[in-house]
Amino acid sequence: MTQTDIAIIGGGVNGSSTGLELAKNGLNVTIIDKNFICRGASGVNAGTLTMHMTRAQLIPYAKKGWELWMNTSEWLSKEIEVEKKNGLCLAFTEDEEKLLIERSKVRKKYGADIKVISRKEAQRVDSNINPNIRCAAFCEMDGYVSANQTGYAYSKALKENKVNILENYSVSEIEYNNNKYVIVFENGEKLIASNLILATGVNLGKTLKFLQIDINIKCLPQQLIVSERMPKIMDTVITVANGKLSLKQFNNGTVLIGGGWPGIGNIEDNYTETKPENLIGNMMLACHAIPKLKNSRVARVWLGLEAETDDAMPIIGEIPNFKNAYVIGSIHSGYTSGPYMGKLLAEKILGKDVDLSLFDIKRFL
Amino acid sequence: MILINNKTKYDVIVIGAGPSGVSSAINCAKRGLKVLIVDSNHEAGGQIYRAPPKTYKSIPKNKLEENEIQKKMSIELKNYQIETAYNHTVWQVSPGFKVNAFNDFSTIQWETKSLIIATGTYEKIIPFEGWTIPGVIGLAACTVMLKSHHFIPSKKIILAGNGPLLILVAYYISKFGGKVDAIVDTCSKLDWIRSTLSLITNQKNFNDGIKWIFKIFLNRIPVHSNCKIEKAVEVDGGIKVKILNLKTGEYKNIFSETIAIGHGLTPSTDITRLLRAEHIYDEHKGGWIAKVDRFLRSSVNGVYLAGDGAGISGALAASDKGLLASTALLYDKKIISKKEFDTNTRKIKKKLDKYEVFAKAISKLNSIPKKLIENIHEDTIICRCEDITKKEILSAVDQGAKDINQIKSWTRLGMGPCQGRTCQYTASKIIAEYLNCEIENLGYLTGRSPIRPVPIDRVLGDFDYEKITKVEAAPL
Repeated sequence: MTQTDIAIIGGGVNGSSTGLELAKNGLNVTIIDKNFICRGASGVNAGTLTMHMTRAQLIPYAKKGWELWMNTSEWLSKEIEVEKKNGLCLAFTEDEEKLLIERSKVRKKYGADIKVISRKEAQRVDSNINPNIRCAAFCEMDGYVSANQTGYAYSKALKENKVNILENYSVSEIEYNNNKYVIVFENGEKLIASNLILATGVNLGKTLKFLQIDINIKCLPQQLIVSERMPKIMDTVITVANGKLSLKQFNNGTVLIGGGWPGIGNIEDNYTETKPENLIGNMMLACHAIPKLKNSRVARVWLGLEAETDDAMPIIGEIPNFKNAYVIGSIHSGYTSGPYMGKLLAEKILGKDVDLSLFDIKRFL
Repeated sequence: MILINNKTKYDVIVIGAGPSGVSSAINCAKRGLKVLIVDSNHEAGGQIYRAPPKTYKSIPKNKLEENEIQKKMSIELKNYQIETAYNHTVWQVSPGFKVNAFNDFSTIQWETKSLIIATGTYEKIIPFEGWTIPGVIGLAACTVMLKSHHFIPSKKIILAGNGPLLILVAYYISKFGGKVDAIVDTCSKLDWIRSTLSLITNQKNFNDGIKWIFKIFLNRIPVHSNCKIEKAVEVDGGIKVKILNLKTGEYKNIFSETIAIGHGLTPSTDITRLLRAEHIYDEHKGGWIAKVDRFLRSSVNGVYLAGDGAGISGALAASDKGLLASTALLYDKKIISKKEFDTNTRKIKKKLDKYEVFAKAISKLNSIPKKLIENIHEDTIICRCEDITKKEILSAVDQGAKDINQIKSWTRLGMGPCQGRTCQYTASKIIAEYLNCEIENLGYLTGRSPIRPVPIDRVLGDFDYEKITKVEAAPL
């Protein structure tokens, strides 16, 4: 039976960021994934790093996360496409204008440097947007990361920091005795850990049941659409007032359309299926925002399973009644904050004074 | 929005109007089933009997037997009053089954209880340095140009790769007045002679083959056996081609205007992968194929594979495979009795067994020598949609990527418009050789919609902003 200081179940951005930080502080870390590092929601994410879609209360965390993403060469890898872009959040109708002003105000209160600008000003920021907007919210703190590259980047960084990676390992049981965790895998192998971190994304509800904890984690099957390569048709990250669109063009010319239009999917057999009518709605909204997109072709559609708690706020921190057991996940629009949340949890484990009360799992128990 | 929701529910939708699709559609229609057959071309025929372009008022000259067969297929579908949706490209199939397709104007969705997938194959090309330069085309693509469009790609051409298409294309190029500068074949002459006994089982194709070879002799076309193209570079007025003898290691330079190259065919698995059917790897049947039972039922209830989709047996066997799949469907729907099913399938299978001998011999001539993969230079592009080289693939493997989908995610291999149809075979071979493992262990690319790129304006048309489906706002 092998032993480790820290066992992290789930090798997505949350689990991997936590593990990386702990390993850098000299701890012996093992990351376990039923598939591969960042191959679930983390690898298929839209990768938008924006304040416009972040829940207001999470803005302070998203800002820290954004800074980490913009500095990946220092703590993660040089080989990952991260771009800083201006972010424009558009309003097309009177109602949307109201919503935009109201939401921007709240986000600003929480620290986001967002200002509402006129149509003319917005066009100066990006001349490609639909000229029929009523107004836009503008934020310089925006951009994107190429999510498909996170698997490569995290794998490499974790290995360089001597993290033990167990891929294709499914957990079948977690035993807790003498303040130690015995993780039993489906293949019969076992691992003993002094500390346990659960970071299994959409499967968190299932994983927490191993510790007899029952909370509801919703599974949101989100559709993503990518165009084939195009000449440059936009230069900003575009969102809309109600938060149901994220749009950006990567350096290779492909345009990624996201925004959380649901498809079909479940965690039982990891099945996903596209919903054509929602693809069309999502594409219409995208083409309405950037009219030139209409000349393109859709190259690929895929889905990712996003986790959400009942109040759509994260659960991060200690698991009550268990010694040295922690959870991290359901970070709504969490790609931006993810690395920072991981770092925070790592600091907490390392004994630093970190306030995670906002994300306490107790609120559901 | 022009998403047309067709209210008609079909008993069967046949995707692909080649010989197997047509024969299965007719077999179902004869028994009173409501059938729709869909194809992206403007008439029935598939690849082998592909209809000439719509813009052709008449076929210029050299009318071919294939053109006659093609016409008959379209007429037969009409006679049985089978609904056709030509010019429709299928882009999404979901369980249940919903088939989504687009044409020049809109996108449409049909519903059906059963599906017959008769989407045939696409060609396999093992890359070499310079295979992406203008003037390099596929051997099968060249066949379409010749047999359906009646034109030659250029006056002078080099034919490379392996298998019977080499001699077929050489024959038609000569017939249509072109000059074949060389045939570069990875097989030896002995390989061809060895296959004779098996090939003769299919008298019709064998006779054609003899006729083609005779023409090659007559026109004194140089044949370079055991050879592959090493490198092609654009030069003034054409392409300079460096060929390598895989046995002796000797190089030779040839000059020509065009290269047509192909190494056999791979079954199209886009739809079965989308439906999450089980697949198996079978090198002799063309690579990854949908797993089927003896009567061509896939692992998904109600989905049948006609034609070459579940393993390559060739055009002549295709219509019988269509019969077999549709007979299984008729039996499953309780339209024919067990007795009728047994009698009919026994008859069809007997015929098919004969074709299998022939298909096996062809597959041997199309087999990929190990050296052909080993020999690929590390800077050669493997995924031409995303410009991913062999070196980049292997570096991802070195970093710990363990399956083909992880390679896709890390390198972008297979993320372009062709969705990996062109590169999956070679990439898998390269990785399997490097890791010294079986291709099965690497898996296959997850099926993703759309299976063909969808023009956005065609799906959306003109729309009012107010008409966009309202969705609940994200929480603040």
